[in-house]
Amino acid sequence: MIGQVLGHCRVVSKIGEGGMGVVYRAYDEVLHRDVALKVVKKDPHLDTSSSERLLHEARASSSLSHPNICTIHEVGENEGELFIVMELVEGKSLRAMCADTGLPPESVLRYGVQIASALARAHDRGIVHRDLKTANIVVTADGLVKVLDFGLAKQVGSGMFDATTRSFVSIQDASSMSGTLPYMAPEILRGEAADYRSDLWALGVVLYEAASGCLPFEGRTGFEISSAIMREVPKPLGPPIPPGLWAIVQRCLAKEPMQRYQRASEVQAALEAVQSAGIVSPAPGPDLGAPKTTVLHSVRHAHVRSGDFLLLVGTTKGAFILRSNAQRSRWEVGGPYFHGHSVYAMAYDNRGGQHRIWASTASYWGTLLRSSDDFGKSWTNPQQAPIRFPSDAGVSLKNIWQIALGRPEEPNVLFCGVEPAALFETRDAGETWSLVQGLFDHPHRPRWMPGNGGLALHTIVLDPGDNQRMYVAISAGGVYRTDDGGLSWTPQNQGIRATTMPEKYPVFGQCVHKIVMHPARPERLFLQSHWGLYRSDNCAENWHDIANGVPSDFGFAMITHPRNPDSVYVVPVESDEFRCACDGRLRVYRTRNGGASWEPLSRGLPQKRAYETVLRDAMTADSFDPMGIYFGTRSGQLFGSCDEGRTWRKILEGLPSVVCVRNAVVGDASGVLRPTSPKVSAPSQQTKSLPKSKTRRPKG
Amino acid sequence: MPVTFHIPGALREFTAGQSRVQIEHSPKTLAEALSALWIIYPGVRDRIATEQGHVREHVNIFIGDENIRYTGGLASSVPDGCEISIVPAVSGG
Repeated sequence: MIGQVLGHCRVVSKIGEGGMGVVYRAYDEVLHRDVALKVVKKDPHLDTSSSERLLHEARASSSLSHPNICTIHEVGENEGELFIVMELVEGKSLRAMCADTGLPPESVLRYGVQIASALARAHDRGIVHRDLKTANIVVTADGLVKVLDFGLAKQVGSGMFDATTRSFVSIQDASSMSGTLPYMAPEILRGEAADYRSDLWALGVVLYEAASGCLPFEGRTGFEISSAIMREVPKPLGPPIPPGLWAIVQRCLAKEPMQRYQRASEVQAALEAVQSAGIVSPAPGPDLGAPKTTVLHSVRHAHVRSGDFLLLVGTTKGAFILRSNAQRSRWEVGGPYFHGHSVYAMAYDNRGGQHRIWASTASYWGTLLRSSDDFGKSWTNPQQAPIRFPSDAGVSLKNIWQIALGRPEEPNVLFCGVEPAALFETRDAGETWSLVQGLFDHPHRPRWMPGNGGLALHTIVLDPGDNQRMYVAISAGGVYRTDDGGLSWTPQNQGIRATTMPEKYPVFGQCVHKIVMHPARPERLFLQSHWGLYRSDNCAENWHDIANGVPSDFGFAMITHPRNPDSVYVVPVESDEFRCACDGRLRVYRTRNGGASWEPLSRGLPQKRAYETVLRDAMTADSFDPMGIYFGTRSGQLFGSCDEGRTWRKILEGLPSVVCVRNAVVGDASGVLRPTSPKVSAPSQQTKSLPKSKTRRPKG
Repeated sequence: MPVTFHIPGALREFTAGQSRVQIEHSPKTLAEALSALWIIYPGVRDRIATEQGHVREHVNIFIGDENIRYTGGLASSVPDGCEISIVPAVSGG
């Protein structure tokens, strides 16, 4: 073969030989460059049409142009033998580099990002690799990754590939399969077709092997390996592997394709997020010549352990995570996360044993829903915004105002309330989101009016006893309720005054600022409106004024007590024009009798020149007994009380404007308080009318 | 002649860290050039454009020294070899 010319390439020397064929170094005499030339062995099992398909596949792969994909220059046939002319890649295989001990995490991330990027490009072009493995990945001397043999596996068949990784004679003979057993996804072993997600499984195996030097699923025989792939969970990767990287590997290795990432670009983004979170490995790895991972020294992380108490604080310039213990007296501050982005919604999701923090981020560059499984050390940064209006909706996402967890029995369900006013839901833990069309198509929607903060659906309240019933609040549209899981919605604003419309009690259009429900009495709701405090005892069928003794019934924030359904907290502000604490005195007001009377709680809060505003989601109550209560202000101060509001302490100051405060007890499944309650039947019309109050109100 | 995109720092995590990205073929319009950019780096798309395909309100794109808002938006023609800058607008507090 040496000296022979195939196409316009003269064979120079033999590089290696494998199951698929022989690889030569060759010289392209037309383009004057060194190339690799692979001569594919003749396979007696391949008929003419199979050969043609292989040729077609190789030609399709040759269209891939990407810095991390070994380029196929030419495909041809010579005396019945297929030959492939490709880029000559000189370097070491990832398999050789990670043998035995694995690579330092920085290198795993750096190479992982490049491999995922290569897969993303190929998948975009409809090409599945089907045999991704560390032996097929070469790293050049300057740290550039090259993925080899794209798209060749399917038509060639596993028998022709270099399956030196493991021997598995019985599987090899199965003509429907291709690839290398330890990297094969469960669905392939079940006889299903490989798709993009099978490549993402293989990527998970590659990352695991690169990080540890070991394969995640091992065995002495093909049967044992298959059995491990189908049934076993890989041994966890501990330090120095960052939890974020381990979480990515786990998700790639989910047994069901639907549970994995759905796109290679998502894996790439997740790896980049871990990279940007900063990782410092204890000892430098062997590849010092390669570029370093960026370490963000300016971001501090809270060191969170099980049993810790957390405050999640969203501001107009980023998010913070504050950690304390049950005493809630000393605080460790993590952040700022998402420098310069406004974070209007945060949530802690511990359903199913997870520790996921959700955050919405909005900036010049759009609005994203992001999550962290390691308490802020790494965050998802999806390439494509997961929450987006359909292209024919005529509107674009401006902000995400609320993240609401679904019911405990549906741990993969979440809702997001957004601006412009609309509701989105996910049923696969945030993988895919869809617009709740029933509300979006509501005939009232074109007549909803934006408030000062925009036209936002900012509040979502789920009925814990009726899984078809849910409430939303829109500024300025009012309260809407569904009793059929979101298919249809009715306005529920009877009795709520509209101060900004000619008709004082319209069917909809009120600027409702917040509604809350006590889970033990889901038929009862409280409401803070743009001028007005209300209660409903009949599932929002009608509302009654309860502003009995507050200095102003204008305000934003409102919370319930975790145990007492008659107890509600608000922070009145002076007026629509002057949205500051009344008389410059920062006071939380509490009712313990369902709104019949209110009392100020101000001990420890500034009472002079405190022109503060507490926005609608900037107050939260914990589940301790006695209850803790926390709020942040537009001036960036954070206050807390561990005795139900009797006394207050300043926790932090100097933050950007606080727009969201949430709390969580780590590892405590009861952190989401959802006591079971009987299903509420038809709303009762019998409600107790409460006495009217002397409350500061707008004119007109 | 290829055109060159200048990528702001905030978006470089989606362009493998590159501050300049060349589009090899010759796009006729900005829309074509952007499409080519986000075929290579798909993460850039949602940062620059809304889901309705409009350039985001606070993102400015310049072809040479001209802001595309005054030259026809996405239909602006892209001369051979030109430089296209993506920059956040001056706004906010």
